[in-house]
Amino acid sequence: MEFVIFFFFATVAVVFALVVVLHRNPVVGALSLVATFFSLAVMYVLLEVPFMAALQIIVYAGAIMVLFLFVIMLLNLQHVVEPHTRPIQQFLGYTTTAAFGIGLVYFIAKYGVFTALPASPFRADIRTIGFRLFEAYVFPFEMVSILLLAAIVGALVLSGRAVGSRAEIGTELSKQPGSEEIR
Amino acid sequence: MIPTHWFLILGAILFTIGVCGVLTRRNGITMFMSIELMVNAVNLTFIAYARQFDQVHGIMFVFFILAIAAAEAAVGLAIFISLFHHRQTIDVDEANLMHW
Repeated sequence: MEFVIFFFFATVAVVFALVVVLHRNPVVGALSLVATFFSLAVMYVLLEVPFMAALQIIVYAGAIMVLFLFVIMLLNLQHVVEPHTRPIQQFLGYTTTAAFGIGLVYFIAKYGVFTALPASPFRADIRTIGFRLFEAYVFPFEMVSILLLAAIVGALVLSGRAVGSRAEIGTELSKQPGSEEIR
Repeated sequence: MIPTHWFLILGAILFTIGVCGVLTRRNGITMFMSIELMVNAVNLTFIAYARQFDQVHGIMFVFFILAIAAAEAAVGLAIFISLFHHRQTIDVDEANLMHW
């Protein structure tokens, strides 16, 4: 039964990942990516980590993909069709990645096979993760919070209107009567 | 219980598909989604190994990768919005200002 679920959702993940890469419309790609993330959440449940499955759905399928779809809609990219150009580079890209993938799967199947399964059930509930997070991993945790702050500031600076409009605002301010006193 | 190498092979296949997307597509958003796909494949591999060796450290790595992927998505999409304002396109071939 477990194997049936695994192979069904593995097929779903691979097929929708291929749709992401091969489909020309970014909206279809984004929605297929949600399906892939959902099947990966099922994989996490099969790996006995339901907390990470919930996090996968909330953060990836919920937050990050909404951000992607929001940007696609904001920039009105849903009708953009990518032209077929550079056939040699495309061909090289497909063949190189196919060779890479076949080699990777071959070497995992040859050298990465674990005959012994873990004997005890994997204990990775929220309690264990929380204790680890605030004992051994406090410093990376704080670093990540600073990184997220930097990302917020960076995104605001980058996506705000560029230097030209800021200069316009400056000239508008200087034209207003009484702005000399403010300076 | 499913053997670990099945998860490793699935992660390898997803990672390969992501590499293929980054190499062959020129739509910036699609390239970004391929990168997210690669990050998720690595997450799956981390969790599979964490279960195999009964260690929580793999889970912690995935936790931090989640946070960093969120930050990366926010900054990357802001860069694309800025690029779109300047060039009216997100074809990455058009972003050649720093290109020798």
